[in-house]
Amino acid sequence: MRVAALSLAGLPLGEPADYAAALTSLLKKLQVRLAVLPAHTSFLLCAAQGHLGEISDFPDSFKAFMQKSKDWNEEYLQLHGRLAVENRLYLVPGTTVEEEGGRFFITSYLLGPDGKNMGRQRQAHLNREERGLGLSRGGELSLFDLAGMKTGLIIGTDARHPEVGRILALEGADLVVHCGALAAGRELAFQPAGIWAQVQQNQFWAVEAQLGRSMGNRAFGGQCAVIGPCEITPGFTGYLDREAAGKPFAAAELREADRRRIKSDYPLLKLLRPEAYRGRLPELYR
Amino acid sequence: MALDGWKERLFRQYLYWICRPARLKRKLSALVKERRPAPPVEGRRLKAAALQVKIRLFKEPLDYAAEMHRRVAEAAAAGAQLVAFPEDNNLPLLGFLPGLEEVGETLSDGEPEAPPIAAGAPEITVAEVIRYAGPVMAPFLETLYSSLAASYGIYLMAGSFLLPDGERVVNRAFLYGPDGKLIGTQDKVHLMPIEVEWGISAGREFNLFETAAGKIAAPVCMDATFFETFRILELQGAEIVIIPIANPEPYNYWLALRGIWPRVQECPVYGIKSALVGKLLGFEFTGRAGIFAPAELTPGGSGVLAEVESPEEEGMAVAEMDLEALQELRRDHPWRDSNPVLYRRYFPHIYSVLEESQRFEEAAGD
Repeated sequence: MRVAALSLAGLPLGEPADYAAALTSLLKKLQVRLAVLPAHTSFLLCAAQGHLGEISDFPDSFKAFMQKSKDWNEEYLQLHGRLAVENRLYLVPGTTVEEEGGRFFITSYLLGPDGKNMGRQRQAHLNREERGLGLSRGGELSLFDLAGMKTGLIIGTDARHPEVGRILALEGADLVVHCGALAAGRELAFQPAGIWAQVQQNQFWAVEAQLGRSMGNRAFGGQCAVIGPCEITPGFTGYLDREAAGKPFAAAELREADRRRIKSDYPLLKLLRPEAYRGRLPELYR
Repeated sequence: MALDGWKERLFRQYLYWICRPARLKRKLSALVKERRPAPPVEGRRLKAAALQVKIRLFKEPLDYAAEMHRRVAEAAAAGAQLVAFPEDNNLPLLGFLPGLEEVGETLSDGEPEAPPIAAGAPEITVAEVIRYAGPVMAPFLETLYSSLAASYGIYLMAGSFLLPDGERVVNRAFLYGPDGKLIGTQDKVHLMPIEVEWGISAGREFNLFETAAGKIAAPVCMDATFFETFRILELQGAEIVIIPIANPEPYNYWLALRGIWPRVQECPVYGIKSALVGKLLGFEFTGRAGIFAPAELTPGGSGVLAEVESPEEEGMAVAEMDLEALQELRRDHPWRDSNPVLYRRYFPHIYSVLEESQRFEEAAGD
């Protein structure tokens, strides 16, 4: 299966029609079955289309978006549902904010090639800023059947909490997609400690979309990537493809036969020692 | 090794004789005359040295002792108050077994026929060699590393040793205090498949040692591949996690990145990696010893405080760790979070799928 992660860098966002046309043009070139957009895609589009006023201070604008999200999400999902149909692909359109019973969650959706919503995943860990904004944590992780591949969604800060990848792997994940938005600067040096590290200790594939734009006073600079176990990637890097200057995406073919082979030759999860964890983890996690 | 009866007993007596603690102590007292003890640990700052040791066999155990002393003396002279040796740090002592060095040379020359020890053939396993030599090595190692720790007034992680423990053979790390007393040990929990073939037994728990220098743990090599090791230790309060390694593969930056570095970022602790390098018995060990910290506590956010340049040669990485800064980071961490609802839903029963699949495979095998 051919997959891509897109950073949204350079795409026009102000008019839905322009955004859809530019995204479609890029997706047609990439010829992928799955496309993943970065975290904050919904917030970014909502703001760019003038629904939130002037974006200056990031947290203040995000608060405004949280209040607006209930009305906005329908438009956001319809737009991306149409894009999934038009491009005949599975689409994870980044993240949005979802309100339920007065609580706000950061949520990603998986849209099928028929444009229908196949399911959603709520972010399970929040960073300090997100906690300060009054967001809530999701409490469950799901897997979706994506053209025969069991697929999980790892959102934002969940990439840095390895429990998420381990749960998905032990539930049978073949592939995880990640919607991220790493701030430019210091954070970038340890991007491999996120999804890359989760791939290496779980032997699934990952499609990592990182936001490549600025919003108000905040710049984002993570790098999109398609990741696999080191042993089945060029130079043992763990990367099948990475975003580069002038190429705001990463795209690659996932060869399941290769992954099955390395899982058979080097069955990492079978080396886990539950008897050493069982007595300690429940008590410590409390 | 095909000795039996009185010849075998005589040879074993010889090994005991050359490894006897009194002989070693005389050697050490001559060596440490010119010692420069490390400054005692004060406050919450601690200087550590991660040693990269080039492996070779020693026919004479006292030469091994002299070499280990040289490395400790250099680290202490650099101001290190905590010094870490690598995994399998007792293998060089096996040079006292006749013929082993020659076997190693044959393998290094590309001799295609692997000897039984390296191939793990049923006639003689690594575990059997260790069961034979272990009782001789254990008191020698205890005397050596206890004396070195006390002589230089340092915390000394002596590396891990393959040693017998009753019927089992374990890969066990040893931590000594500046008074020379053994603080504690840690058996390797996650074994490499080749170690299972060798007949090594896995540890069953992770130990944390409270010391005046901080809360220290010393899981071994492959234990750093799995986040569970560091999470269990972090949640118990670990501040410094030492990982001795002996990685038997050609060096590759990305393959090496799969161990301690991401673990230190996931579970904010200081990490010390000590590495065995060089060629022995057909294996090529590589690695870069280093001292690692959460990105927030390192210049440029690299997560690396110090690292040996060459993955194949002897070296030493020295850096200071600020345990108070670590605690401060943990109190108000920018992204670390906990989700007990999620964890209660999945842990620990999520692991039962592994046992079910193992049972299924065993049944299919029958």
